[in-house]
Amino acid sequence: MQRFLDPGVLAGITSLDLLAKTVVDGFVAGLHRSPDFGFSQEFAEYRAYSPGDDLRHVDWNLFARTERCYLKRYRGETSSQVTVLLDASNSMQYTSGPPSKMDYARFIAASLFYLAIRNQRDAAGLIVFDDEVRDYIRPSTRQGQLMRLLAGLERAEPHARTDYGKPLRHFQALLHRRGIVVLISDFYEEPEAIVRIIEPLRFHGNDVVLFHILDPQEIKPELKGPAILVDLETDREMEVIPEYTKTIYRTKMRTHIEQLRSRTREAGMDYHLLVSDQPLDTALREYLSLRHAGN
Amino acid sequence: MGLLAPWFLAGLAALGVPVFVHLLRKHVTTPRPVSSLMFFERGIQSSTRQQRLRYLLLFALRTALLLLVVLAFAEPFVLRPATGASDHELLIVLDDSFSMQAGTRFADAKQQALALLAVKPPSQKAQVIGLGGQLEVLTQPIADEAQLRSALESIRLGDGHAGFGELRRIIRPMAETAERPIDLHLFSDMQRTAMPANFAELMLPPNATLVLHDAAKGTVLPNWTVERVSAPAELADPKDPKRSRVQAVVAGFDTPAAEKTVSLVVNGKPIATHKVNVPADGRAVVEFAPIDVGYGFNRCEVRIEAGDAFPADDASLFVIRRADPERVLFVHASSDSRSASYFSAALAAAGAGSFLLQAVIAGQTTDLDPSKFSFVVLSDTGPLPSIFEHTLAQYVAKGGGVLIALGTNAGRRARIPLWGADVKDVHDYARIGPAAATVSQVDFTHPALAQEQPGHDNGGWAETKFFYAASVDPGQARVAARLSDGTPLLLDKQSGEGHVLLFTSGLENLTNNLPLHPLFVAFIDKTARYLSGHERLSGSQLVDSFVQLRSAAAPAGEVANVEVIDPDGRRPLSLSEARKVQTFRLQRAGFYHVRFANGQDAVIGVNPDRRESDLQPIPQDVQQLWSGNNAGGMPTETTVLDDVKYRRVNLWWYVMLLALVVALAEATLASRYMGTQREEA
Repeated sequence: MQRFLDPGVLAGITSLDLLAKTVVDGFVAGLHRSPDFGFSQEFAEYRAYSPGDDLRHVDWNLFARTERCYLKRYRGETSSQVTVLLDASNSMQYTSGPPSKMDYARFIAASLFYLAIRNQRDAAGLIVFDDEVRDYIRPSTRQGQLMRLLAGLERAEPHARTDYGKPLRHFQALLHRRGIVVLISDFYEEPEAIVRIIEPLRFHGNDVVLFHILDPQEIKPELKGPAILVDLETDREMEVIPEYTKTIYRTKMRTHIEQLRSRTREAGMDYHLLVSDQPLDTALREYLSLRHAGN
Repeated sequence: MGLLAPWFLAGLAALGVPVFVHLLRKHVTTPRPVSSLMFFERGIQSSTRQQRLRYLLLFALRTALLLLVVLAFAEPFVLRPATGASDHELLIVLDDSFSMQAGTRFADAKQQALALLAVKPPSQKAQVIGLGGQLEVLTQPIADEAQLRSALESIRLGDGHAGFGELRRIIRPMAETAERPIDLHLFSDMQRTAMPANFAELMLPPNATLVLHDAAKGTVLPNWTVERVSAPAELADPKDPKRSRVQAVVAGFDTPAAEKTVSLVVNGKPIATHKVNVPADGRAVVEFAPIDVGYGFNRCEVRIEAGDAFPADDASLFVIRRADPERVLFVHASSDSRSASYFSAALAAAGAGSFLLQAVIAGQTTDLDPSKFSFVVLSDTGPLPSIFEHTLAQYVAKGGGVLIALGTNAGRRARIPLWGADVKDVHDYARIGPAAATVSQVDFTHPALAQEQPGHDNGGWAETKFFYAASVDPGQARVAARLSDGTPLLLDKQSGEGHVLLFTSGLENLTNNLPLHPLFVAFIDKTARYLSGHERLSGSQLVDSFVQLRSAAAPAGEVANVEVIDPDGRRPLSLSEARKVQTFRLQRAGFYHVRFANGQDAVIGVNPDRRESDLQPIPQDVQQLWSGNNAGGMPTETTVLDDVKYRRVNLWWYVMLLALVVALAEATLASRYMGTQREEA
């Protein structure tokens, strides 16, 4: 089933619906074989009845034996809200080979939506942003929500440049209910600034997860000779020599990633580096892990 | 080294093209998009170290290609020595003839040859030849000095007679096939007697240069020698005053008049000594008689006492064999008594007791055993008893000799006994044509007719007249003499180990007048010695003469070994050679002991050619003429080695060849790079 999570294979699937189904089904099938993961209708605990609780959940067998009213609770019964914040800036269209970072981000988002709505029956929403909020689909569990979300992903084309500051206000306004916030971006910004902008979401009680999407060539770029590089967001040009990319650039990138990881964790957020040639299960596993934690 | 067209070097400016392509063109690059320049810093290759050439090997090949093409147009050349150096083939000829034994001539000549070899350029090819009785090519043209030196060192003094005419014979084919000019260095004593009779025989091919190295340094040593010895090879009676004598000629070359002591030594013991006055540059005859020798082979020598600077030629060797008189069977027709008389008289006059003639009528030969006779004469016999003819054939096959004379009976009975062929016709010159035929052709090399210096009258044979002769098809037989009408007169046929001589006329005075001439005695004498084999059983021979050990074709299964013991007591023939070899060359002076295939033993005294005793060198002007240097002195080793001219060897062809190789390498490498680029694209 691992091949259904391979980005190279998924890049050949044009339908996001089918893609998400393929990924999630393959992922879940993998989970069933693993004893470390369990969810859904599994018994969790008994809770004393309090007025207003749904009588359908009362364990009448227990009541008959003890004449006490307890509710039987299951893990899978908890419902969460997951909102994906998708960076659709120009830098996300960079690719050294299929899929591009944007496509990879779409795959992840689509898979998360599918898993959340079809398997977990969670509410899922989408915010597409660059330097503004470009698209917003309110989290919902209504019929047709998955299709709406996937259509929103299809519409999300890289545009303009990233500015985390401006859309943040909208995030806070749009996210009323606490839940899981998944931020998918390449994070070409100072770690301090990123954390400072996103931190308020955490303060509102959201579980914030950062999926850092990078192309392999962005981590270890290979230049055969001096080259002129063009910034996809600013169109600025710069002449760079191979020696630099082999030494200083890699050090800087490594430092950036480490700082991002440490600063987000310090702020109580989860951080995951996803390279666009890696399988998608890391993102799904993270989502389930967070949901299992109680959201 | 230089350039024939240096102006083409301006083309080196084109070297800027690959430099531009590889060094400057690198700045033209296509911009590459990246997500962000956040972590990049500007870097420009401005320093020399950074401006490394891309595709360094390709750049080097392209530069080399241009450089080579420009060089080829500029026509580079190198100077190579044109003469005297490795472009010439060196031919070292060392004279090892008998005369080189005088003084230190041979050692000096060899030293000079080794010195020449030492200064030879290492790459120059050379060849070593020994010049003695026979030319010996000791090496192929090689440059290895060690082998050449070894070949030179291996040349030993011989007893042969050198002839400079032989040089031309061997140099001519060499010069025709040689790719390079030949420098012929002759190390010799330049003996005058080594010159051929005709100077034209000395002329070398145009591409051969002769350099003479005179080992005698022009000095002439006075030398006395025993020039000639006349002694009987066979002796029946030592007290016979006519035959028991040894006559020696003592000769002096460039000598003053002197009294010399001459001794006759027999089997190592001097038996007689005489003093003789030898005039200046003259000859004197000394005679020893009678000779007291024992039965069998006696090894004799005539020696001059108190020698000179060349003692090796002070003695002359010969062998006298003493034996009882041998019987000769003379078979004739009953009606013929004259031939026996003439033959007997001639044999008695010549052999002086060595042979006893036994005349028998043809019909009475049935019980005779030919092997008891020295040789057999069939004088116009007609048919023989078959038994006798059969035993006679066996006798010849085992080495016996038969003389057949055809008289007037030949016209009546065509068959010739023992000969194997019939009489085709008879010529009665008195009746059918001219009164008589004469002898027009005589082979003086035949032992029966041998004469050292035959006169203009055909050695006396022109005086003889033949009235009657039979015509016989010679077939495989050797024709030794012919009559004026071409009719063979004397034929020699080998049969087994023996010989059959056929005289197509008679031995009496009816068919010819030969018996009336003194020549008849000499003819009978030589024929008797030839047929009896005495000619080769004793006496003396010259160095490098050949001895026939067996007949050409021996019947299968009847091969008998021959044996030769040289003067040193060694057997020069191997076992296989002893079963096959037909002739043997007498290479050394001394006594050879020979056993022939027919079982006969012989001892032969071998002497060097007496022309070697004349140490007079070739006149200087002749030497200059020979070496092609008439202007001044003799060309010497130094002048040849110093006379080095140079010639230009153009290298443009090699440069273009190299450029072609570089171009192929460049094409291969460039296509590989371009293939990589396409793949990257």
